[in-house]
Amino acid sequence: MVRSTSGGQRIVLPVLTVFIVCCMFFSGVLYALPEDEVSATGAAATDITSAGATVTVQGTEPVDGEDTAIDVKLRLEETLKKNKKCLMCHNREKTKLLEDGTEMTLQVPRDAYLGSAHGEVECVSCHSAIGNRKHPSKSTNITITRERDYSIEMNDSCRNCHREKFTQYKGSVHSALVAQGSDKAPLCSGCHNPHAPVSMVDYQAETGLPCKNCHESIYNAYSASVHGQARINGNTIRDSHIQAPICSDCHHSHEVTALAIGDVLRTTCIACHENVTLLHNQWLPNTGTHLDIVSCAVCHAPFAQRKFDLHLYDNIAGVPLAMQEGDAPIQEQLQAIAAEGGIGDPLEIWKARGGFGQGGQPADISLRSRMEVMSGVAAHQIASKSFAVRTCESCHEPGWRQKQNVTVSITQPDGRRQSFEADREALSSVNAINSISDFYALGGKPSKFLDILLLLSLVAGFAVPIGHFTLGKMIKEYMARGEK
Amino acid sequence: MSTNPSELKQPDAWIKTKESDLYINPLPVRIWHWLNALGFVVLILTGTHIRYADMFNVMSFETAIKTHNWVAFAVIANYFVWLVFYLFSDRITVYHPELNMRKFFDKAFKQMMYYGYGIFRGAKSPHEVLPLDKFNPMQSITYQIVMLLVVPIQFISGLMMWDIKRFEVPIAMVGGLDAVVTVHVLIYIFFVAFTPIHAYMGSLGHTPATHFREMFTGYEEEH
Repeated sequence: MVRSTSGGQRIVLPVLTVFIVCCMFFSGVLYALPEDEVSATGAAATDITSAGATVTVQGTEPVDGEDTAIDVKLRLEETLKKNKKCLMCHNREKTKLLEDGTEMTLQVPRDAYLGSAHGEVECVSCHSAIGNRKHPSKSTNITITRERDYSIEMNDSCRNCHREKFTQYKGSVHSALVAQGSDKAPLCSGCHNPHAPVSMVDYQAETGLPCKNCHESIYNAYSASVHGQARINGNTIRDSHIQAPICSDCHHSHEVTALAIGDVLRTTCIACHENVTLLHNQWLPNTGTHLDIVSCAVCHAPFAQRKFDLHLYDNIAGVPLAMQEGDAPIQEQLQAIAAEGGIGDPLEIWKARGGFGQGGQPADISLRSRMEVMSGVAAHQIASKSFAVRTCESCHEPGWRQKQNVTVSITQPDGRRQSFEADREALSSVNAINSISDFYALGGKPSKFLDILLLLSLVAGFAVPIGHFTLGKMIKEYMARGEK
Repeated sequence: MSTNPSELKQPDAWIKTKESDLYINPLPVRIWHWLNALGFVVLILTGTHIRYADMFNVMSFETAIKTHNWVAFAVIANYFVWLVFYLFSDRITVYHPELNMRKFFDKAFKQMMYYGYGIFRGAKSPHEVLPLDKFNPMQSITYQIVMLLVVPIQFISGLMMWDIKRFEVPIAMVGGLDAVVTVHVLIYIFFVAFTPIHAYMGSLGHTPATHFREMFTGYEEEH
């Protein structure tokens, strides 16, 4: 069957085809045009002016999985609309009286907030407690005891978006201290203002913030050090050198660790100074042992005070003894020993008290030794290589041991080292020498017995020949006289 | 294997000797002995410097350590000159111990009597120095203990201290670094007495120069 078409139908079909082709052409032109030209057409880029804040959203080529400029625009508009209500009041100076009598600011500077990385985050994303119910008022007041408590309560909200960083933080010494009830240890908001967060990529050695807030003396030591100075003065140590380190380069920014634990410090230094073993090997006898038992700062912070640190070592586990949660006996024992006015021979006292190890169980524990600097401040006073101590006699001389500060230390559950001052005289005692038999410094080890033996040997070495010679001469003379 | 002393009497071309002289110390033994002597003196001096660093200002601690290490390696290498020579030479008989205890004590007693009394009266040494039997029983036993026990222990303990990290496992096996150091120091103390006494006894030959000449030229002159 052949279908006949009318004259009107014959016209509609080509017109429709031309229309579709034209649409495709113009949409293609628009798509291919550069951003500014698109902006000029008013098609994609938008200046969003809302409540005095200006956010310019640039149009971008749509890429799989990424938002288009229009998506961003729409979301921001939506967010700003939602946040508008909050910011209208909270942009103003406003405080809340807390249970402890202090005042907590409720102000969120609008410009700073909208210009920050959180600018497109809804207020209620974090303040969900407020978003889910009626806004607190005088009649429906939310009771907050202390600002710190509120910060701790809010801290978990960071995890919603920053899961990885939050997990790293949870494993940090900072988090461990918070868990122990520290009022000073930083929460997320301690370093990142939640209403104007700044990436720590923008951290500048000149200011030292936010680490300096709590660690000012250490920061000052760092900023005067070869690392700090290099960072401040052009960021290089040598012409072709990588950036000089800032705090987070060694301590990490979220999984912050106390570096003075075992091998962590050396590993951190070697991460940048990778040929350190080779360089030391060129002149330093027993390089491996020196790098094992002498902290880098002992020689590279030449003006730092040093100490001889004895740490309790679990021979069964083969690791430094670290306190676990609930290891009260260890803590109590060390405190009791310290309270007795110095530690004579720590291991002997330790054993006499039952020698508790991990989990409060009796353990096979010995003392191992390291040369350390006296304080965290000293550990950051790293000087230029040309100032490093290279005189072996600094350590290798008789009596050197007696001149050193001595501490006994144990690793706490949070990873920090807790040190107790020990009696330096006691290091010469026979018991102490036995306790620290793993440590030997050439020339630095006193042994009166061997000294006396050497003296006797020297005397014998010369007295025997002289005596024999003299005796022979006397006998010969006597015999000669007899013959006469 | 030749055991005829006369065959060993062939004089070195550069030393003028009498036919009657006995060729006691062949060249390898003399080289080993004097290098060893020099090495031991340097090791004792630098060792003392290392152990009592605050009492000496002759050189830096670093120089003392490095000298001690290098010389020690030279002495260890030199030890093998001695060892290889005696292992492959007829002259190993000089170290053969007297296994008959009665004979040994008898000879040793006579030797002690000689050093304690006879030597002053001009008596002749009870032991006659021969190329294949140059040591008296006391020397033989002493040198065997020194060369096969004391010196190797000193080398091994020194090696361990030279690189504590590398020899971590053997150090732990022998009781820790403290034990190794103590042994090394005790042997050093022994050599502090041994060296001057050994030198003095070297002068107790037929004439004071007899044994020294013997150790330089290889020959003991007839007397």
